[in-house]
Amino acid sequence: MSLNPIDRRARSFLYRELMAAGASFAEINGQACAMRFGSDSLAELARARAMAICDLSPLRRTGYKGWATAEWLAAQGCRIEDAPNRVYGQDDGARIARLSRGEFVVLSDLAQSTTLPDRLDGAWSIASANGCFRVPRTDSSAWVVITGEHAASMFAKVCGVDLRPHTFVNHSIAQTSLARMNAIICRSDIGGTLAFDVVFDLASSVYLWGAFLDAMQEFGGKPVGLEAIRTLAGV
Amino acid sequence: MKIIHCPLNGPRNAQEFVHGGEVVAMPDPHRSSDAEWASFVFLENNVAGVVREWWCHVPTAYWFIAERDTVRDEFIRTYDASELFRERVEFTRPAAPKGDAPNGQGA
Repeated sequence: MSLNPIDRRARSFLYRELMAAGASFAEINGQACAMRFGSDSLAELARARAMAICDLSPLRRTGYKGWATAEWLAAQGCRIEDAPNRVYGQDDGARIARLSRGEFVVLSDLAQSTTLPDRLDGAWSIASANGCFRVPRTDSSAWVVITGEHAASMFAKVCGVDLRPHTFVNHSIAQTSLARMNAIICRSDIGGTLAFDVVFDLASSVYLWGAFLDAMQEFGGKPVGLEAIRTLAGV
Repeated sequence: MKIIHCPLNGPRNAQEFVHGGEVVAMPDPHRSSDAEWASFVFLENNVAGVVREWWCHVPTAYWFIAERDTVRDEFIRTYDASELFRERVEFTRPAAPKGDAPNGQGA
C-alpha cells in the first residue's frame, strides 16, 4: 500500500504534483518517493523509453567546491579527470559531475547502493577544510531525470544549447538557462535510453516541473516512477 | 540571438551573461588617495575601441575576461582570468596608530 507523503518527515517539493498525477509512494532515505503511476508497469516503461520525467529528489546527492577540491576527492578514492563539464562514473555506480576546475556534484545511483555521498560528507569537516567546501545539494538542489528518444527534441523548446545525441555526447554537461532558470544538465544514458539528469534550484521545483510537462506534452511525455527508471537501468 | 563564447562552457546566448566592468589595475588601498580609489571603484574610461572587460556566465557564476570592440560591439577573445591573475590578491589590515580603539569606538 502506498504511503502518504504528508505523513513523512521529509518529502520532495513536488509531492502535490506527484499526488495529483496519481503516484504511489515508498520510503527512500526517509522521504516519500514516487515509485509508479497507475498499475500498468509495461506502459510506464514504454513511456520512459519514449518521453518521460521522473523526480529523483529523494535520492542522495552532495557537492563540493574550492581550489583544492579535486585533490581532496582523489584522496577519498574518487576517480575524476581534468576536463570540466563531464560526468565521471565511479565503481559503485555513483557519478561525479565536474562543473569546473574546482566544483563538483556527487549523484548517487538509482538503486541507492552507493554510500559515496554519505562517506564524503562524513569525511569532510569545516575544521579540516582547506580549499574544499561543502555544497549541501540535497537541501538546495532538486533532481529530475528526463528520459526517452524525444528528450532532445523536448529540450530544444526550453533550452538554447544543442542537446541532440550526436552533438551532446553521453557524459557531457551543459550548465545553462533552462526555461529561464539556471540548471545543470548531465547526459547519462540509462540502459541504452537517452537520459538527462537535471539539477536545479530546489525552491523552483514546481515551476520547472510544470514547464517540462508542458514542453513534453506534444511528445506524449508524462511523469514515471522510480521503478520504471530502475527497470531501464536493469537494477 | 547574440552568442558569447564562455571559456568554461562554450558558446552561449548573451542573455546568460552579465557585464562586470573594465579590467583595471587596483591601486594600493593603503596608499591611494580618495580620488584614486573612487576612480577605481566608480569610474569607467569608456574607450571607443578594443577594451578588456570582466564578464560573468550567470548559470555557473564563472567570471572571465573578454576583449571586446566597443565600436563594432564584437567579442574578439574570451579567456580564463587565470591568464592575467596568477596569484591570489591578499588584503591586509593596516596597522592602527597607537591609542586608536578598533571600529572607531574610542572615547
